[in-house]
Amino acid sequence: MSALELEDVNAYYGNSHILYDLDLHVDQNEVVALLGRNGAGKTTTLRSITGTIPRREGRIDFRDESIVDDSVDAISNKGIKLVPEERRIFPTLTVQENLMLSRDSCKGESRPIEEMYDIFPILDDLRGNNGQNLSGGEQQMLSVARALVQSPDLLLLDEPTEGLAPVIVEDLEEILKDIVSEDVTVLITEQNVEFALELSERAYIIESGENAWDGTIEELRDREDLLEKYLSVGVEE
Amino acid sequence: MVNAGIVLDQILTGLSIGSWLFLVSIGLSLVFGVLGVLNFAHGVLFAMGAYVTVSAVSSSIGNFWIGVVAAGVVVGVLGIIIEMGFIRRLYGRAEEELEQLLLTFAFVLILEDGIRMVFGSGTRQIDPPSAFGFDIVVAGYSMSSYRVFVILVSFAVMGGILLTLKTTNFGRLVRATSSDRDMASLLGVNVPRLYTMVFFIGAALAGIGGAFAAPLQSVTPALGETVIIEAFIIVVIGGLGSFVGTFFGAYLVGIMIAVGSIFAAGAGQLFPFIALILVLLLKPEGLTGGANT
Repeated sequence: MSALELEDVNAYYGNSHILYDLDLHVDQNEVVALLGRNGAGKTTTLRSITGTIPRREGRIDFRDESIVDDSVDAISNKGIKLVPEERRIFPTLTVQENLMLSRDSCKGESRPIEEMYDIFPILDDLRGNNGQNLSGGEQQMLSVARALVQSPDLLLLDEPTEGLAPVIVEDLEEILKDIVSEDVTVLITEQNVEFALELSERAYIIESGENAWDGTIEELRDREDLLEKYLSVGVEE
Repeated sequence: MVNAGIVLDQILTGLSIGSWLFLVSIGLSLVFGVLGVLNFAHGVLFAMGAYVTVSAVSSSIGNFWIGVVAAGVVVGVLGIIIEMGFIRRLYGRAEEELEQLLLTFAFVLILEDGIRMVFGSGTRQIDPPSAFGFDIVVAGYSMSSYRVFVILVSFAVMGGILLTLKTTNFGRLVRATSSDRDMASLLGVNVPRLYTMVFFIGAALAGIGGAFAAPLQSVTPALGETVIIEAFIIVVIGGLGSFVGTFFGAYLVGIMIAVGSIFAAGAGQLFPFIALILVLLLKPEGLTGGANT
């Protein structure tokens, strides 16, 4: 069953046309990577799904219902939760308050906050610390926890490893592997291609706001030409 | 040489002025902190609160406390109409701030003339409720019990606001939305509805402030004009959007007005402006350093 379906999606910032007739689908419980160079339109694709873009056109369905005309909060309340690229932790709220706000703002089912501290032990010792006093890695963990506490039906991860130290990336990868092994549907964008390939089952490559390729991760690993052409990387076996 | 006794006496007067200046400024600070709207009409909403109370006291109702509640409700509902009907249309526009200022200034003119049409241009005065017919005397200094009561009300309002911000989900929403409204939407918060609620509370606080201030001064249609200037000075001195800063700013300005008047006629009005200029030059983020404190 298709959880998310995008067909002929066009998106704009003012007069700039960013996405051109983009197609994409994510099945229930599937983990899909959205790859492409910086500026290819990955974040804009996520913004089109969450509704945080001034103008979007085309078909965007979530569980066979159109969400293209819905407001940002209405889309969120249908179960689509974003972990944004900039993390966007509320700076003057503590770790605990960030999680409480998320839990209490959620119209649907939510998960106990204590579960989040089990998943992210690093946050447990930081409960009373303000968001603005956390390191980048801690903020990223909190950003993921803040989305998870709302028990997402579709989790959108926008560049989760960006700007993080390699050791933190390893921790995050372990945690996300556990999360995606549960019944959760994920669409992830990443510059760190190896990280995305480790987590995902299928991938889309976009270039200049258009579909360039899509297929399984196994197929992609065999296509070094694609990885070099669109992502400028070589992938280790 | 200025007599220390006179200075202390004026400081007490300053505390009384500061208490109702706080009740005006806190709503302005709240609305700015969360919505980012500098509501120029906040002063006239304060004046309307005073007029609603004057009407309640001098009509057949004849009860000050009903006047206070009515002032909060009437002015709060007016706030909802202003926010939902007008200000909401300006969010996110390129010239948002300028347009908000012009729009709310239009409401100053409309509402002030509205007051003149209904109540006339003359001065109205009411006495404090009869329960406060005595003075409180400590070590030879006396203050009317009503003034002491309004000071206590200002402390209670400040305490209530801090408690709400720290312990309730609404408080967390206010703090979160004032730093990142889009992220709040992404978590499922209906931000437009929250904005309307905050504007209602801000306007209701202006109305209640006007109600409590009504027995302390002459009520005229232009009351809001003086008050809004002082309220702007207070929120800038305290730090835009900072509630604790607004509290200290209000008392500081109240004391400056009262103590300044010892030195020369009009000096009391001048001191807050000098303080404003100094703060803008030396510490533009305000004495407490900005929003959410």
